[in-house]
Amino acid sequence: MNKFVSRRELLSLIGKTGATAAVLKASTALGLVPETNVQFPDIPSVNPANRPAVVILGGGISGLTTAYELDKAGYDCVVLEAAPKAGGRCMTVRSGDLIDEVGNPQICEFDDEPHMYFNAGPARIPSTHRNLLRYCRELGVELEIFVNENKEAYVQDDAMFNGKPIKNAAVTTSARGFMAEIMAKNFTGHELDQPLNQYEAESLLSAIRSFGDLSEGDVFKGSTRSGYAHGGFIEHGVQKDVADFSELLKTDFMRMILGQNEGETGPVLFQPVGGMDKIVQGFTNKLEGKIYYDVMVASVNLNNGDGVEVTYEHKGMKYKIQADYCFNCIPSHLMTGIENNFDDNYIEAMRYVRRGEAYKSAFQAKTRFWEKDDIYGGISWTNQKIQQIWYPPHGVFKDKGVILGAYDYGGGMHFTKLSQEERLETAIRQGQKVHPEYRDQVEKGITIAWHRMNHMLGCAARWARNRDGMTADEERLYRTLQQPAGGRHYMIGDQISVHSAWQESAILSAHWAINDMVKRQSGISTMPGQKLS
Amino acid sequence: MKKLISSCLFALFFSITTQHQSVSGQQYDKLNLDSQPLSNKVCATCHGSYGVGNPIVGGPSLAGLEPWYLKRQLEGFRAKHRGNETDYVPGNEMQVSVARLSDNEIEEVVSFIATWKPVEPEQTLSGDANNGSALYASCAACHGINGMGNELLGAPALVGRDDWYMARQLKLFMSGNRGGNPDDVYGQQMRAGVQALGSEQDINDVLAYINTMN
Ligand SMILES: Cc1cc2nc3c(=O)[nH]c(=O)nc-3n(C[C@H](O)[C@H](O)[C@H](O)COP(=O)(O)OP(=O)(O)OC[C@H]3O[C@@H](n4cnc5c(N)ncnc54)[C@H](O)[C@@H]3O)c2cc1C
Ligand code: HEC
Ligand code: HEC
Repeated sequence: MNKFVSRRELLSLIGKTGATAAVLKASTALGLVPETNVQFPDIPSVNPANRPAVVILGGGISGLTTAYELDKAGYDCVVLEAAPKAGGRCMTVRSGDLIDEVGNPQICEFDDEPHMYFNAGPARIPSTHRNLLRYCRELGVELEIFVNENKEAYVQDDAMFNGKPIKNAAVTTSARGFMAEIMAKNFTGHELDQPLNQYEAESLLSAIRSFGDLSEGDVFKGSTRSGYAHGGFIEHGVQKDVADFSELLKTDFMRMILGQNEGETGPVLFQPVGGMDKIVQGFTNKLEGKIYYDVMVASVNLNNGDGVEVTYEHKGMKYKIQADYCFNCIPSHLMTGIENNFDDNYIEAMRYVRRGEAYKSAFQAKTRFWEKDDIYGGISWTNQKIQQIWYPPHGVFKDKGVILGAYDYGGGMHFTKLSQEERLETAIRQGQKVHPEYRDQVEKGITIAWHRMNHMLGCAARWARNRDGMTADEERLYRTLQQPAGGRHYMIGDQISVHSAWQESAILSAHWAINDMVKRQSGISTMPGQKLS
Repeated sequence: MKKLISSCLFALFFSITTQHQSVSGQQYDKLNLDSQPLSNKVCATCHGSYGVGNPIVGGPSLAGLEPWYLKRQLEGFRAKHRGNETDYVPGNEMQVSVARLSDNEIEEVVSFIATWKPVEPEQTLSGDANNGSALYASCAACHGINGMGNELLGAPALVGRDDWYMARQLKLFMSGNRGGNPDDVYGQQMRAGVQALGSEQDINDVLAYINTMN
């Protein structure tokens, strides 16, 4: 008879047999951990004769979201943006574009064709980022599938197989095969068949076998999942040799490769057709005449709970602007250099946030050489400084393509410190270990060191100083900066989230701020003119 | 937060409801790299609006720096006398920022920064100002008894400077990362000058004293 196993029993069972981390993961899977939710803003329309004035500082995704939503509801919005174009980190580079790195300005010389672009900042949209996807639909931004993991792409590590690149599929099948073998062999059932009934135990064992594609006797003898050495269609396929498991243990890649396809980098992922900044254009099309470029905010001061005064500079002239509300996505580490009259707690919080680091580079490829290698989209991994090579999922079979030649995320200072020539030479030299023909194939390289990009000087604000996440003190600082200064000035952007480096977080920070403003505003009159009593 | 000492004059005032003039388009045109605009924008991103300084980026206040000293530092960074340290990100970032400036551009920037109003310096350190006063006796020879600097000796004013920035500089001088280059004549003098300080505590103490002169 099947014994009923409750969710909680199953969790405690996993807890007994495995680590506590397994319980945490499992409980999310079963939907016991509540998902935090920010409501999509529902903004009461304002009286056209008495429109609150809103000044939005910075045309990043969060600033644009705020302007778009408040403009729809009838607010009088203005966006002030320091760069000559909006989007901030949401930046796509095409032929003729300037990469405004401090001390290393570059003009992109890619061929001028729609598929020849590089997403220098965000490149992936996870299918779970509902609010970003909602805007794509609403703004008419056409999407296509982005390929993150590709089993035909390579894995290369100097410590493994003498540094020879091997196909991701070979690593994956071998790793899974050997892991499954160990699991199946240890599956004597002693501990397990007590809490699991026989049916469940069999089900688990067969999953283990299938996970590793085990042969008779629960041994791993290789798998056609990594493809055939030859044949397979008209002639019988000859299986490839098994990638030596002991080689895989020499590196970190097994862990990385097996984890890559999960969470926010797991399928399904999207990208806008023609470049990530199509999202920015979607917003700016709706905000015609409301965004001012080349405008550098110079001071932000609260007027005794009665609005905000902002001064800015444009082409050497100074201006002043008064608004009822201010939404500010200028990176906090740049706000610390902008004159203001915020209170000490707010400033303390602003000063606490650390600048993140990120680096990307890209090349134009003279031919789509990767396609000859059965690679269409996806990522090759290497233990070298370039870490990753990305192949474009779009433009299949065209003459050329743009590939990402290095992506150093989270510690992107190695390349940042090099000269442009050294950056590109390093990328080519290291790329050659993955594709021997690389040097002849790539040209017109560009590099983007976010730590040095003008008006950004960083990526992905960091609140936590250690790996275990925010301390109570950090949580306090975060909540301080999330609250509106003087009830009127909101910091927004992915910096006001616990999950920076995603556009969804930037959008949700804007939604949070808008909702808060609406809540505080419920006293605001819907009648024309000023309320006297 | 520091305040501009005298309030700025605005060339134009207008409120949000008045008409904005339309401003430049969406995209850069193909730019001639040599003509990159040297507006205050380039410096302000790191040094704060009108050079008020930004401790998080590590750019000290520039407003109020003596033009002769400012010029020499820009030349020094350009020549890699400064900013060439390994693993000192603030110095490296400043170095690349000005590495391509021509002599004319340096002149231009220096006269532009001269229009920025001096700001109150940041006082973030605590130390023993009495001990600092004694230590400062050796500094006074070059930086002046009131910390106002001495152009003839090439020593800049120390009043008006952010203490966190000076603390970093004193450490760089001590380790020879600044003032270690034989071509950096003035840096070498200061390197000799810093020998009077033996410890981090001395640095805090002397800066605590300098803070009292502001
Ligand atoms: C390398 C990289 C990879 C990423 N990958 C992804 C991804 O795959 N998917 C994803 O969803 N997200 C990704 N992100 C994160 C995403 O780009 C950000 O979360 C999002 O774009 C942040 O938007 P924001 O609203 O915080 O504004 P920001 O983009 O930070 O914009 C700030 C704006 O303020 C302006 N500004 C600065 N100073 C001033 C001033 N003084 N006056 C006026 N304006 C000023 C700036 O010019 C800029 O436009 C990535 C980011 C990077 C850098
Ligand atoms: C990428 C950021 C960045 C940019 C852009 C930048 N600086 Fe700096 N600057 C710094 C940092 C950081 C320091 C401090 C270096 C150190 O700690 O040694 C600095 C130091 C200086 C100093 C030395 C001050 C002193 O008291 O000796 C001067 C002068 C200076 N900068 C001028 C400029 C000028 C002028 C510009 C514009 C042309 C500029 N900087 C652009 C980051 C920058
Ligand atoms: C022998 C003369 C001399 C003495 C003594 C001396 N200095 Fe200096 N100091 C200089 C010169 C010259 C410079 C400018 C160096 C340069 O141009 O790079 C300087 C620079 C500095 C700076 C860097 C300022 C900046 O903006 O980056 C600080 C801080 C400083 N001195 C503090 C001190 C202190 C504190 C003492 C005493 C312990 C001291 N100095 C003693 C000559 C001296």
